[in-house]
Amino acid sequence: MALVELSHVSKRFTKGDETIVPLDDVCLAIEAGEFVSLMGPSGTGKSTLLNLVAGIDRPDSGQIIVAGTEITDLSRSRMADWRAQNLGYIFQTHNLIPVLTAYENVELPTLLLKLKASERRQRVELALEAVGLADRADHYPRQLSGGQEQRIGIARAIVSHPKVVVADEPTGSLDGQTSEQIQTLLQRLNQELGITLLMVTHDREVAGIAKRQLSLDQGRFRETNVRMQPNEIASR
Amino acid sequence: MLLPWEYGIRNLARRPVRTSLTLVAMTTVVVLILVVVGFVRGLERSLSVSGDREVVLVYSINSAENIENSSIAAQTPRLLTASLSGIWKRFGVPHVSPELYMGIRVGVVDSNRAADLHDRTNTEAVSESDALGLVRGVTSQAPLVRRDVRILSGDWPGPNEVMVGELAAAKLGLPANQIVVGNTLEFESQQWRISGTFSAGGSAYESEIWCNLPDIQSATKRQDLSLVAIRLPPGGSSAEAELFCKERIDLEIQAIRETQYYGGLQQHYGPVRHLAWMVVILVAAAGFFAGMNMMYGAVSGRVREIATLQAMGFRRIAIVVSLVQEGVLLAATASLIAGGIALLFFRGVAIRFTMGAFPLEIDGVAILIGSCVGLVLGALGAMPPAFKALRQSVAVGLKSI
Ligand SMILES: Nc1ncnc2c1ncn2[C@@H]1O[C@H](COP(=O)(O)OP(=O)(O)O)[C@@H](O)[C@H]1O
Ligand SMILES: [Mg+2]
Repeated sequence: MALVELSHVSKRFTKGDETIVPLDDVCLAIEAGEFVSLMGPSGTGKSTLLNLVAGIDRPDSGQIIVAGTEITDLSRSRMADWRAQNLGYIFQTHNLIPVLTAYENVELPTLLLKLKASERRQRVELALEAVGLADRADHYPRQLSGGQEQRIGIARAIVSHPKVVVADEPTGSLDGQTSEQIQTLLQRLNQELGITLLMVTHDREVAGIAKRQLSLDQGRFRETNVRMQPNEIASR
Repeated sequence: MLLPWEYGIRNLARRPVRTSLTLVAMTTVVVLILVVVGFVRGLERSLSVSGDREVVLVYSINSAENIENSSIAAQTPRLLTASLSGIWKRFGVPHVSPELYMGIRVGVVDSNRAADLHDRTNTEAVSESDALGLVRGVTSQAPLVRRDVRILSGDWPGPNEVMVGELAAAKLGLPANQIVVGNTLEFESQQWRISGTFSAGGSAYESEIWCNLPDIQSATKRQDLSLVAIRLPPGGSSAEAELFCKERIDLEIQAIRETQYYGGLQQHYGPVRHLAWMVVILVAAAGFFAGMNMMYGAVSGRVREIATLQAMGFRRIAIVVSLVQEGVLLAATASLIAGGIALLFFRGVAIRFTMGAFPLEIDGVAILIGSCVGLVLGALGAMPPAFKALRQSVAVGLKSI
């Protein structure tokens, strides 16, 4: 069984008379260790899909199984607990807590795990090292550059050793050079630490760093760079 | 799992101006609550400790609860002593205190000017600032019945002298240093040297001025009495005295236990207490809105942050608790400051009222009520904003700026 499995998932939004169907009966499977990018123009439902996989939104129909758990059935608080154990989320804007230092921001998700103080410290330090910012542990977000903030955001997403890390336009608010640093970092995390990544972007170049590239169009997936057996993995 | 404490504490520092303003508002609220509760408790205490269960008051049947208006015949004490068997006696002395009690204008004679004027013109001193004082003419029997009375300084009054209670100055609205032994008061066109000061265990006598009964009778050209206070033997019953007064219709007197008398007065002040509690509620409501307003402000600027915390796996309850912590932390600080202010500046401050004066009673109970109200305000004020923040879905919250 794949690590992430969406089967026949639909999601629609109703605004007044208008109904938008960003996801129409989609299926998707992601194996452990994969780096998948999801491309598509703005407003096609990429974030919607990401949020379904991340367990912060629910589909109207269909099934989502992540790491063996059928997350569509979970209660709100079980879902929160599940996220704490299994999921890392990298946001477009880092979303760091301004009143907490870099260290404290990265430590935050580990407070939801049963860890010894020493283990926790070790994990936070490793995560900070992985993003190359161990020396900025005591800095507050306002004392960091945009790229550094995003790296802290990435450290925070991986610190609790999640099964899946999702990233919604992780380079969307960064300039070219900083964006490249982040791309390299994400690639390294996937290759060196074996982190399973699902990344949404509207930038073709950024999407290119992923081994497997999907695009979302009119509520359906299109595999743009198929590595595995197409019938096994994606799209209907 | 809950969010770390530091998060709440540092969030308060995030908007220092707004937080300080709220702190000032909440502190004011708690101080006001402490003062009002202290007022009510002071009033209640003054009236409740004023009663002695073993003392019976005999006074005119026509004066309702107002002993100042009572007038009874001068021979009443003799009659009572002769007729009642249940009066406490020691060494053959029945414990009966005839008293004349009145509210009259009392002035203080300016001692410096008196000396000054004496030197040059030999004119008597000018009396100033007259306010309504409570004067009680008593005999040497009084301390046998009024057992709480303790002389603090000086002596029992001699002819044309007075002894003043601890709170007499407050009742007169005069600075305490004017009402001291050796100074002179003026009332009923006579001068009265202050021979001593006394306390009375917190009871209403502490706002009074005591002098010798014959002196005040001659000064006011009265021969009657206001009341007779009788001490019963320990555990004694007031039934005999009550029955005697009922049977002797011609005397037009009534007998009532002193505790009952002050109990009646407490009821009389019921509306004042209700008003005071109303003030507490209104002031508390103001504090509630101040707290809520701040928390609304704090939360509305933090929608995305709260969604982020949820996306990370913090449960909604953890976020509510954290916001409530913020509110409570601020309220606790306010309560602490308010308690300090109240204890430093308001504790024991004397309040004048018709019955005399009493000190603001900022005691443990007042502090407890004040702090509890403060903390509840902080907690309740944080809740509506917290729930508002959590009504939104996480996905939508993440998109907000
Ligand atoms: N909460 C919502 N309510 C109504 N419409 C929404 C909501 N979220 C997203 N949409 C709509 O769904 C479509 C897909 O949105 P989204 O997944 O954010 O797109 P993308 O991330 O690809 O830019 C858009 O047309 C958007 O307007
Ligand atoms: Mg999007």
